Amino acid sequence: MNIDVTQASGVAVVVPRGDLDMAAVPDVRSALTGLLDNGQSRLLIDLDDVAYIDSSGMGTLIAAMKQARAAGGDVRLCGLQEDVRTIFEITRVVQAMSIHPTRQEALASWR
Amino acid sequence: MTPNAAGSTFSMTSEAEHLLRLRKWLREELVGHGVPKQEQPNLLLAVGELCANSIQHAYEGKGGHPINVSVRSSAESLVIEVEDFGKPFDPRHYDAPDLEALPESGYGIFLVKTIADSLSIDVAREHGTRWTMVKYRPGYGPAASGGGRT
Repeated sequence: MNIDVTQASGVAVVVPRGDLDMAAVPDVRSALTGLLDNGQSRLLIDLDDVAYIDSSGMGTLIAAMKQARAAGGDVRLCGLQEDVRTIFEITRVVQAMSIHPTRQEALASWR
Repeated sequence: MTPNAAGSTFSMTSEAEHLLRLRKWLREELVGHGVPKQEQPNLLLAVGELCANSIQHAYEGKGGHPINVSVRSSAESLVIEVEDFGKPFDPRHYDAPDLEALPESGYGIFLVKTIADSLSIDVAREHGTRWTMVKYRPGYGPAASGGGRT
């Protein structure tokens, strides 16, 4: 899976491109834990280019969020497509994670 | 639209990389069986979860083993079956996820049960598990006649 990472106001903006399924999990996990292990505790994952997420992909995001929160930071999401949002709603993860419509709003939530 | 379409089967081996190919095939199948567009993403998710379960649990992550997905429909319903030939699913050891605890795994069967109108499991086979998911067309099924979900 292609994953772009940029920095914006002290937040690592992670942009995966493609389907976040079981096959993509190793790449995504590696990218997120790499950032977290290097002391980056504020991560924004922009899912605007992700059309499919399964429970293993969602679990990877949850794991990263827990690690970030333990370090005093957070993993927040933005750009969820309607089809992708459903898994977060069915599992009620939408209530536990900070999810924003746009990248701008997500970055603003940290100010 | 073909509401009474004969079945077709997709075969893959137990590598996660094949799930993308499965979804491409299944998208076309769902269109061909007249599944409303708004229902397609959830069905893709449910079938993907069952196949991922086969990879991870039935075959314990080992590649090279068969997983078959079949789709058929009638005027009343869509039926999707996922079968593997590995370690059988044991319903006695299944616990629904504690959603309040925000687990990192264990959501698969819960998602399938939520999305499907009914889900049955056949483990009385020589090897493996066959999952049968039913999704009723609008206006059909127990919910349409005032009954409950199975």
